[in-house]
Amino acid sequence: MRRLLALLLLTLAGLAEAEPTLYLYNWNNYISDETLARFEAHCHCRVKQDYYSDNEEMLAKLEAGAAGYDLIVPTGNAVESLLRRHALRPLDKTKLPHLANLKPEFTDLWFDRGNRFAVPYATSVTLLGYNATRLAELGLPTDSWALIFEPAYLAKIKGRVTVLNSQRELMAAAMRYLGHSVQDTDPAKWDAAKRLILRAKPYWATFSNSTYIKDLAIGNIWVAHGYSNDMFRAQQDAAAARRPFAIGFTTPKEGAVLAVDSFVIHQSGRNPELAHAFIDFMLDGRNAADVSNLIGAGNPNAAATPFLDAAVAGNPAIFPGAQEMKRLEMLRDFDATLRRTLSRMWTEIKVR
Amino acid sequence: MRRGPWLWAAALAVYAFLYMPLAVVVLFSFNDSTLNAEWVGFTTRWYGKLLDDDEMLRAAGNSLGIALAASAVATLLGTMAGIAMHRWQSGSLRLLPFLVLTPVAMPEILLGVSLLIFFRQVLDLTLGLFSILAAHVTFSIGFVAIIVRARLAGMDESIFEAARDLGASPWQTFRRVTLPLILPGVLAGFLMSFTLSIDDFVITFFVAGVGVSTLPLQIYSMIKVAVTPEVNAVSTLLMALTLTMIALASRLAPDLLKARQQ
Amino acid sequence: MMPGSTSRAESRSHADRATKWAVSLPPSLFLIAFFLLPSLLMVAASFRHPGEFGGLAPLFLDGRLQLTLETYRFFAGDFIYAEIFLRSFVVAGLTTLLCLLLAYPLALLIARSPKRRRDLLVLLVILPFASNFLIRVYAWIMLLGPAGLLYTPFAVIVGMVYVHLPFMILPLYTNLEKHDPALLEAAQDLGAGAWTRFWRITLPLSLPGIWSGTALVFIPVLGMFAVPELLGGTRDILIGNLIKEQFLDNRDWPLGATLSILLTVAVLALAALAARAGRLRGKTS
Repeated sequence: MRRLLALLLLTLAGLAEAEPTLYLYNWNNYISDETLARFEAHCHCRVKQDYYSDNEEMLAKLEAGAAGYDLIVPTGNAVESLLRRHALRPLDKTKLPHLANLKPEFTDLWFDRGNRFAVPYATSVTLLGYNATRLAELGLPTDSWALIFEPAYLAKIKGRVTVLNSQRELMAAAMRYLGHSVQDTDPAKWDAAKRLILRAKPYWATFSNSTYIKDLAIGNIWVAHGYSNDMFRAQQDAAAARRPFAIGFTTPKEGAVLAVDSFVIHQSGRNPELAHAFIDFMLDGRNAADVSNLIGAGNPNAAATPFLDAAVAGNPAIFPGAQEMKRLEMLRDFDATLRRTLSRMWTEIKVR
Repeated sequence: MRRGPWLWAAALAVYAFLYMPLAVVVLFSFNDSTLNAEWVGFTTRWYGKLLDDDEMLRAAGNSLGIALAASAVATLLGTMAGIAMHRWQSGSLRLLPFLVLTPVAMPEILLGVSLLIFFRQVLDLTLGLFSILAAHVTFSIGFVAIIVRARLAGMDESIFEAARDLGASPWQTFRRVTLPLILPGVLAGFLMSFTLSIDDFVITFFVAGVGVSTLPLQIYSMIKVAVTPEVNAVSTLLMALTLTMIALASRLAPDLLKARQQ
Repeated sequence: MMPGSTSRAESRSHADRATKWAVSLPPSLFLIAFFLLPSLLMVAASFRHPGEFGGLAPLFLDGRLQLTLETYRFFAGDFIYAEIFLRSFVVAGLTTLLCLLLAYPLALLIARSPKRRRDLLVLLVILPFASNFLIRVYAWIMLLGPAGLLYTPFAVIVGMVYVHLPFMILPLYTNLEKHDPALLEAAQDLGAGAWTRFWRITLPLSLPGIWSGTALVFIPVLGMFAVPELLGGTRDILIGNLIKEQFLDNRDWPLGATLSILLTVAVLALAALAARAGRLRGKTS
């Protein structure tokens, strides 16, 4: 018994942390292990990551008491929510000498004028990833949302399609396909989007925010609605495992959602000092380039440009050109009434 | 007694159903492929990778620490509750079985959610080690109490009376008579709560905070995002561990298996 | 009567009382704090307003208690939620039935095996059940994915059955093991066929085992969210998923609490029903 107690005490003591630790609440698949290892060596500290795969999930977790994250990587509209909540610490720019590396178009975004709270880290487009080999055999188009909304196409890929388990993202795709803005406030248009989704739903396999990466790479799933960086990952995984097919991803011609994800420092974090150090480290051109080269995300950092792989830099689904940009929209928060209406529609979508 | 061949066939099919999926998990933990979609070749590198995985090791450490601490407390409180339920079944203590047994019978999610509300609204507590510990003790007490009570129920009351008549104080009676008799039950209760705690996902999922991950939580996030056979490797190791535990337990407390069935 | 003996009896009853409280108070207080109180808070939460950013709105505002029936009205006014409840009951019922069908022959076989082999056969049932439940679900992801059966209602049922099967086998076995073989022999001597013997003797006698197995499978399935989440398709959401979503996605705690309360009521009603059925059985047999 005494030995057991001793063991118990030892284990409990082991739980107490010795090294300084940076708690990072991040999208899954949004920073490479190599980059993290380099930072850990640089700061003599440890980075502990938890993951989310939807902004709503992250906000809800924080409300449910997840306190102690130093850094979070929310998308613009979620930064807006967090700011309204007074949940963020203002940045101390004296500790961010590399801030000037940001491209000018990322220094005055609508959700945070003048980078007072948020430092843009990466951009991604919500688009369609697909099994290019399979779809070519089936003669299906890959550049339109019709692929996941039109029963005529879906009939050929029934049960091989996943869509994001995110109210805002999925409904935004439907809105774009119907020719509306994702910021439209007319409930009738949203209702039409809901009906479009319900009509297509029987053909979809499941709602998925993260598992589609491996399902695409393995070949269980042929079409996935998801983030460009995840499709990049699926493409790489499939190639590395020498799967007998190729994964492709394209921004649908009807337009799509662009996400600008930024580092923000949460009030509940215990180590803002380390958080600043991390942000500045990630602003360095060479480190910033990793998120594009290794993760396949777009890059808001000008100093990263010389380090980018040509294949990544030239992929319009990762780095949209000026023309492409016009078809992309960022999500913004709605007022409470429309939010409740949409939440009710979402429940209906999940249940019907 | 005659057992028809059809019975054997049906039973064998059920055993196959129970084991085949796990066999696949074990087999594919040795698969030399990053995607684990089909068999490529034999390797043990995923086990090596696992040993280098800091997060996983830390989660395992957390799980172990939490399980030891939670089951120690739960065994103490549960043994008390089991004795109380056995001895005093009247008055205000009539409510005790309700208090002890309901958490065992309820769907786990209900306990998880109500504890989440409690920790947030009342204690305004930062979720973490303490909330997980408290939650694990809560759902384990009932199991220990059930086992201890079952053990007591099978005993001859007259020994306790004899001890008292011989002038033993309640504490002496407990220490010298009751405890040695119920010890196998207490031990079984401890092992049971240890297993429950180290295995729990649902309740932990709701009350775990930042920076404290447990093995099941880690496995959950791996299943959701990872593609590599590392998931299989950790699963296989865990199975080996439980096997060892069971073997040990059946040596230490042959009652355990019996208790589990009740 | 000697005065000394009264006082000794008195002091003994004092000691008894002290012991009673010393033994029963710690677990009671712990469970009141960490089970009863949280449960009551959940009931209260179902009558409160949602907070602006999630969680719950302040209980007192302008010196007035802020309670409402709004969430219950919302639930009652929308058939969708009741539909999910119904669907969960169907899934739980189906899972229980399949578990019963699979468990019965195995439990019977174990119960009728020679004594020394029984422990081993039981151990073989418990072993897979001792591996983490997520691993058991993951195993089916691996198996069903390539077969194109992942993300289907079928996958959900298979997963549910797989995860809960031992909970049916063990109580059934414990019951069947106690049956007196003489009964069956007597029936055989009287000319009853195998089927009649099963139908008229074994099955009725095993009903208490069936009932406890049913309770052990049906109730946990009702609250399960991980299996539909990992194996299910676009329509396979159950109450558990809905509750989880209110807390960890939607930020609508009052709705989540209301759904939890209704699930609790359903579970308690079922448990009462099962206990009642068990008791009636006990009386008639």
